[in-house]
Amino acid sequence: MIRVYTSSVIEAPAEQVWTLVRDFNELPAWHPLIVDSRIENGHLADKLGCVRAFRLRDGGFIREQLLTLSDYDYQCTYSILESPMPLSHYVATLKFTPVTDGNRTFAEWSAEFDCAPAQERELAHNIGQGVFQVGFDALKQRFARRG
Amino acid sequence: MLRVVRSAIIDAPVARVWEVLRDFNSHTEWHPAIAHSQIEGGEPSDRVGCVRSFVLRDGARVREQLLTLSDRDWRMTYCILEADVPLQRYVATVQLREVTDGARSFWQWTSTFGAPPGREAELTRLVGVDVYEAGMRGVARLFS
Repeated sequence: MIRVYTSSVIEAPAEQVWTLVRDFNELPAWHPLIVDSRIENGHLADKLGCVRAFRLRDGGFIREQLLTLSDYDYQCTYSILESPMPLSHYVATLKFTPVTDGNRTFAEWSAEFDCAPAQERELAHNIGQGVFQVGFDALKQRFARRG
Repeated sequence: MLRVVRSAIIDAPVARVWEVLRDFNSHTEWHPAIAHSQIEGGEPSDRVGCVRSFVLRDGARVREQLLTLSDRDWRMTYCILEADVPLQRYVATVQLREVTDGARSFWQWTSTFGAPPGREAELTRLVGVDVYEAGMRGVARLFS
């Protein structure tokens, strides 16, 4: 089991970040790698068990299922059902915690998965830096405070 | 039951911040409110169950006991055994997390406790502002 952990600080209140990110179908609204997304079977995006099917800029197609959604502690957990990546048992959690000093947000994105040993390093880097950090960089930029 | 939460970003890697905080008697080095402190019975300050006995600058006395210490997830829990200030059933947790983007640390300090009727706001402010916020600024200064 491989673990990937990426964390960052976003210069906006956690409830504000969460309002944008909690919508399981709105990845294209904030993550630069994702071009379009839909929820299968017409379900609501905050109905537990719903599946989002989305396309990456490079053409990759991914289906993910919502496993946990918490408006109380601003976190969601989801699994990959289908993707071009050579991995299995992928479960990820995205979590936002208030930083009371400065009214900022501590953002954490972590994942666990299985893969062939030869691919561990590359997959961990691609997910931790190529997906999670890129998403956080976009949020940091969107919520950057001026002055 | 009252609950206080404070959190901050410390500009140092989590291993360095934890090295300071895991020492249950280190608060004399970074908390401006502490006049002096010792671990009772000469026990090691990372022995779970040890008791720190300290005096604040205003003369108030406090005894606190270490209940949990985890080097794996940078966390400690402790309670008040005895204090001049009427904080009842006070249990606090210090939790650090790694900020991978920039080698910084996230620090969350939380507690739950009871207070005598009419003193809730005063004691909540004492814990949140005078203890936690002042302590976090003190640790931030160690690394600035």
